[in-house]
Amino acid sequence: MHFVLLSVLACLSSCHCWIERDEKNDNHCGLLKHWIESSLVSMEIIKRGFHREVETTVELSPDVHSGVKVLLLHRWPRGVYVDPYQLASLSDQSDWKILLDSAIDLEVPAHKTMGFVTFVYPTPDGPTPTLLKVTIPIHGRYHEPSFVGEMFTSVDIEPPELLLWTEKCMPLNNIEPHDVMEAPCTHHNSSSCQWVKQQHQPQERGPVSVQFPVGDGSFHIIFKLIWCEFSGTLGCFLSIQLSFSAHTSEAHDHTRASC
Amino acid sequence: MEKVITKLTEKRVLFTASFVIRLALVAYGDYQDRTMVVKYTDIDYHVFTDAAAFITEGQSPYNRSTYRYTPLLALLLTPNIYLSMVFGKILFIVCDVLSGLLIYNILLLRGLGTETALRVCSLWLLNPLPIGVSSRGNAESILAALVLGTLLCMEARHLMWGAILYGLSVHMKIYPVTYALPIALSLRTTETRSEGKKGMKSLMRFIGSFLNRELFLFASVAAGVFCMLTALFYYMYGWEFLHETYLYHLTRRDIRHNFSPYFYMLYLTADCSWSLWLGLAAFLPQLILLLVASWAFHSDLSFCCFLHTAIFVSFNKVCTSQYFLWYLCLLPLVIPHLSLSMKQGVGLLLLWFAGQGLWLGPAYFLEFEGYNTFLWIWLAGLLFLIINSFILIQIVSHYKPTRTPQRLKVE
Repeated sequence: MHFVLLSVLACLSSCHCWIERDEKNDNHCGLLKHWIESSLVSMEIIKRGFHREVETTVELSPDVHSGVKVLLLHRWPRGVYVDPYQLASLSDQSDWKILLDSAIDLEVPAHKTMGFVTFVYPTPDGPTPTLLKVTIPIHGRYHEPSFVGEMFTSVDIEPPELLLWTEKCMPLNNIEPHDVMEAPCTHHNSSSCQWVKQQHQPQERGPVSVQFPVGDGSFHIIFKLIWCEFSGTLGCFLSIQLSFSAHTSEAHDHTRASC
Repeated sequence: MEKVITKLTEKRVLFTASFVIRLALVAYGDYQDRTMVVKYTDIDYHVFTDAAAFITEGQSPYNRSTYRYTPLLALLLTPNIYLSMVFGKILFIVCDVLSGLLIYNILLLRGLGTETALRVCSLWLLNPLPIGVSSRGNAESILAALVLGTLLCMEARHLMWGAILYGLSVHMKIYPVTYALPIALSLRTTETRSEGKKGMKSLMRFIGSFLNRELFLFASVAAGVFCMLTALFYYMYGWEFLHETYLYHLTRRDIRHNFSPYFYMLYLTADCSWSLWLGLAAFLPQLILLLVASWAFHSDLSFCCFLHTAIFVSFNKVCTSQYFLWYLCLLPLVIPHLSLSMKQGVGLLLLWFAGQGLWLGPAYFLEFEGYNTFLWIWLAGLLFLIINSFILIQIVSHYKPTRTPQRLKVE
């Protein structure tokens, strides 16, 4: 009898713990959902030419807990690239850390490569401030020449996706409509975590377009270019050749005279 | 002023001052790198150091993207990892000053007096261009020292050492391979003129003149050094070594803007099926001029090598500013034999700088301001080729062949 009573009590207390844990979990997940919905991500591209900087600002909810980790996921088009060595050097001097999903060829033109993804961890260690700013240098690739006389080509850069994670909302539940995404927990890429991805921004912003100069590949331009090129080169070649010949005949005349 | 110049060009003062200036700039460069946004150190220095770091971890230096040099260079810079990051720069500035010493000795062997030789080699030792390049961490001074060392040995008829240094130079960078023909022509048996002998007999005699002990010794030692190093590094790093160190440079078609007038044409036709023929057509003027220069000037090896390098760089399909050092280190050997006045010389120098300035303007606007200045950059590149050709013609026109100096053994 006593044994049965004790078993029932043990069962009831376990259930109570689970329910309490689930309730706490629901609370934290609810908070996570609230934080991700009230966070703002804005992106600005500064500088000109082939070397730009992408400035991303994240405004988190003021009541966000210090244990929350932030991840910015950039999906870059093939028209730009980042220099891993430059990023490594910058990373040493700043708070944020970055992870690339693939090796980057620094020299290949845009039409011969693919886009890539970067995982930026604005605050890998320590408490999470409510305002985060990350500046990533990017470089434009040479693009295929235009055959219709256009002087510039546009490259659209999407704002990054915001992802949040907290160990207190594990397992993730009740976070709809936001998606769950598996991504590296840290820039060390030693483990994967379930991140909550922000579904819609309070103020949806589209991609930012940057322009890069392209060569004029029209047939008549190429023809004129090649003609001028080889005329100029031939002119230089013949002039130098003549000077060599003049020197050689001068040297022969000098030798004959001394004989 | 004359007293200042005389004091400055006393041998001990000149070489010490040259080294101290470079050392001071290395120290300043370290300060600038730590405190300012714009870095003093060349990006190439970081490439070399990263490659050296891979070697210290037992990996291939070619794991470092854009490392396109011999593994020997990364090996030489492993003290950057074990000792101090500044080791490489010290090595480069020492080679730079050594190049000045080699220039001085070559000039003495070519019959110049001590004071004149010192004044001429100060054109290298106190020249801001090589000072800046070596103190920023660029490795061109190593090759300058090797090429000058080869010429010194050839001048002093130490053929074995000349061959070793030549083989090493070609291993470090491909372009000295163009010196093979003038070296061969200078080492062949000089034939006495015989009237009336033409055709096949003359050709046979010409070919036969290349078959002598000196040329055979030089060719076999140089080729032996080159092949040995190539085989060793191929064994260690495989195909990647061959591709990055040699094949990439031989087939390189940089479509990005550079001083070469061919860059725009190569960019626009990069994906055309007939671009290969264009590339070969562009190679022809370079090849023919090198052959003719070898034949016309092989009797003065230093002058011939200078012409070779200047032609090679000016007519190349890719040309960046670090290539200029390849012929600038040989210019002090040529200057004493030019009948150009100071005014003419300074005029040509200003013209050369003006040509670069005219290119740098539109290049800056393209890269950093985003304007479409491709056509202007191409025009500036073509103009720079014309300017370089004009300067070469002036040099050839005012060149006085060197009188045969007494061959002094250099201790």
